[in-house]
Amino acid sequence: MILSNTEEVPGRAIREFYGVVTGSTVRSKHFGKDLLAGLKNLVGGELKGYTELLVEARKEAMERMIEQAKSLGANAVVNIRFATSSVAQGAAELFAYGTAVRVD
Amino acid sequence: MDPELVESVFNLGVPAFLLALGYVAGSMAEKSHYKSIRLRELRLRRMPTTNLRRPPVHWRIEKVALVSGSTVISVDYFKRFLAQLRGFIGGRVRAYESLLDRARREAVLRMKEEAVKGGFDAVINVRLESSNIAAPLRNDRGTAGVEVLAFGTAVKLARA
Amino acid sequence: MEPLENNVSPEHPLAELATLVLGIALIGLALLAVAALAVEGAVRWLPVELEQRIFGGVPEPGASAPALDALLQRLARHGPGEPSGLRVAILEADVPNAFALPGGQLLVTRALLEQAGSENELAFVLGHELGHVAGRDPLRALGRGLLVSLVLGALGAEGASVAASAAELGERSFSREQESAADRFALALVAREYGHVAGAADFLRRLPDAEEANAATQAASWLATHPRSHARVAELERLAESHAWSTHGELTPLPAGLRGE
Repeated sequence: MILSNTEEVPGRAIREFYGVVTGSTVRSKHFGKDLLAGLKNLVGGELKGYTELLVEARKEAMERMIEQAKSLGANAVVNIRFATSSVAQGAAELFAYGTAVRVD
Repeated sequence: MDPELVESVFNLGVPAFLLALGYVAGSMAEKSHYKSIRLRELRLRRMPTTNLRRPPVHWRIEKVALVSGSTVISVDYFKRFLAQLRGFIGGRVRAYESLLDRARREAVLRMKEEAVKGGFDAVINVRLESSNIAAPLRNDRGTAGVEVLAFGTAVKLARA
Repeated sequence: MEPLENNVSPEHPLAELATLVLGIALIGLALLAVAALAVEGAVRWLPVELEQRIFGGVPEPGASAPALDALLQRLARHGPGEPSGLRVAILEADVPNAFALPGGQLLVTRALLEQAGSENELAFVLGHELGHVAGRDPLRALGRGLLVSLVLGALGAEGASVAASAAELGERSFSREQESAADRFALALVAREYGHVAGAADFLRRLPDAEEANAATQAASWLATHPRSHARVAELERLAESHAWSTHGELTPLPAGLRGE
């Protein structure tokens, strides 16, 4: 599955459009990592726990989007965009969407 | 000790201590992070980026892939306090400026590093998204941290 | 080539902190000053009779005793104002204390009555509260408290805590001024009623035993709303001397209804 956030796949022509495909997931960390974040809130620095959480969530959201594209018979997803939102304490929603297409 | 005096010392002393801790630890972390960022930016100059949607017309591209990099950076006590005071008076919240600058540059670097790992030559259509991570504990209205995501399309040029 | 690093303002964070804290502290003090002025104006404008009418409707907070009322009326006649609006009630509490509420209502705790050694001593305490009433202090305190909380509430957030601390420190010195004035008023009343001021400061002299914890308390007196009792007693002694009021004289025992139980 070819993935790109451009409107076209450079060097390839689009033969067919299948429409918008989406993937989303809501993930939460366990309590222990939250405590660490609380501590980090005093001294600053990267919240590695949260970073990992969001990376995994993004991967999962993309996988779901790709599955949707495959089910339509596409071989590429273009113009991919993301949206993150913090929905509850310690939980984040990750949303990925793009246009499923068939390219040469 | 006069109980009122003790209470006053306690009321001012604890936040003052946390402020000092936040400032010292925070600025140390920031300095070392910036050092790392500048070093890697130098090394990754060979991975050019653009936020144009199309690559230059003369490029012959043989492979593309989506690459991304992200980071979540936390606010420290000192920064948060400064931001609240600013909320009174208005003006530039310098403390958060540095936070977002660091997070953005770090995210872009991680995206470039992913492109390098995949053997690509450049990243086009770079987009940046930031979002606020809500504080997990207490009813702190402020931020626990800021998340920045950088993503783009990595391209591999055909070897002429 | 990397672009210029200009996305972070160059000011030093500590310098910024100092400026902001100072600025907000100043704003806090300014607010307190404005609130104080506003309340002064309002208090002066509001006639005593109207104040009594507004707050007089509040039900009696404690038991009354005719002997105590009589003493209050006798004292009040030596001072300015109309004694008829003044009332005193006994509050069932274990700590010796006395209060003046808006509207001319005085309160005296049961413990204070039990500990009083003479009528002169009780008279001084009542006189002190009458001093507050004459100075419209209870109304002033109420007004300022309301105004300051309103303003701080409007400003919102924890940043207001800086302003609040500054305002509180300013408030404390103002209250000490009121307390000294009330002491002076009380001593004058006692002198006029009994012809001497013996026994008047007995209540204050007894307080240091309770407060005596550490030598450090003496240094911390500026933080207290009530000037340290030693200082108050000393000031009263100086006042008595300057008016040539005798500190010796026969102490009148407590009236029958108030002694002991």
